[in-house]
Amino acid sequence: MAVPVPGPLKVDSLLVELPRADQLVMTGSVANPAIQAQLARYLESVHAHVADKRLSAFAVDVKGLTFVNSSAIRVFVDWISRAQGAGYKLVFHVDRSITWHRLSFSVLKSLAPSHVEVTEASATGAA
Amino acid sequence: MTPMAATERTCRVTRNKSAVDDARRFAELAVAYCDVDCRQAVAMVVSEFAENLVKYSAKDDQVYAGTISILREGGVVRIRAKNAVASPDEGRRVQEAITRIATSPSITELYRSRLQELFKNPQLPRAQLGLLRIAFEGGFRLSCSFEASVLEITAERACLTQ
Repeated sequence: MAVPVPGPLKVDSLLVELPRADQLVMTGSVANPAIQAQLARYLESVHAHVADKRLSAFAVDVKGLTFVNSSAIRVFVDWISRAQGAGYKLVFHVDRSITWHRLSFSVLKSLAPSHVEVTEASATGAA
Repeated sequence: MTPMAATERTCRVTRNKSAVDDARRFAELAVAYCDVDCRQAVAMVVSEFAENLVKYSAKDDQVYAGTISILREGGVVRIRAKNAVASPDEGRRVQEAITRIATSPSITELYRSRLQELFKNPQLPRAQLGLLRIAFEGGFRLSCSFEASVLEITAERACLTQ
């Protein structure tokens, strides 16, 4: 049976949705452990969807994700590990004017360089 | 005219569900007049400190987990988190972690190496990224004291006004 496309997740200021089968958009913030736990479960279902569809790459637009706690960084680490296991590439679209994007995504990429791509934009310009 | 002395603002962190969000709003107000880098960095540090206070402080006080103070003076912002620890081992563990961070020749490598550990061992129960992130992303110098079951962590960095 096919894995259904996950519907949007809205918790406090966090909104996560799939405008297309191969793209996720995240906006708002992950500022407390309860939101981080829900995000972790949601991204597991997104991973199941990507693996089920046998996509070779999946875009994750985090430009509007202005703040995350350190536990949410671990959620991205776990997702990269699953992507590597399933053999697809995560393409993160980040905003380099946001400090945690600029610094943490380059380190996240180094975990699995062939399974992570990071493209940078700024609030005033395109990638 | 004598310059006005800077005032340290202090927030008592509760054990409510909204504690981290409340602490973050306190931080945003405390440094609202600072540049965007400093505002982002202070909000991140206060969120991490607040989350740690709620998770790991001694549960003797049912209402409050600890305090977080912010002082900006002479172009430097100083954030202090203070709490009673659940056990002496917990206090020593934090002291050791801060010593490792404060004496590391490359905080980037330390951060990368911790992410690698988590990447290779997804079952590790605690991420232990908060203090590392404060130093790596926030550019803060960390120090701490631990006496009579009370842990005080201090984070300092330069901070410009807008």
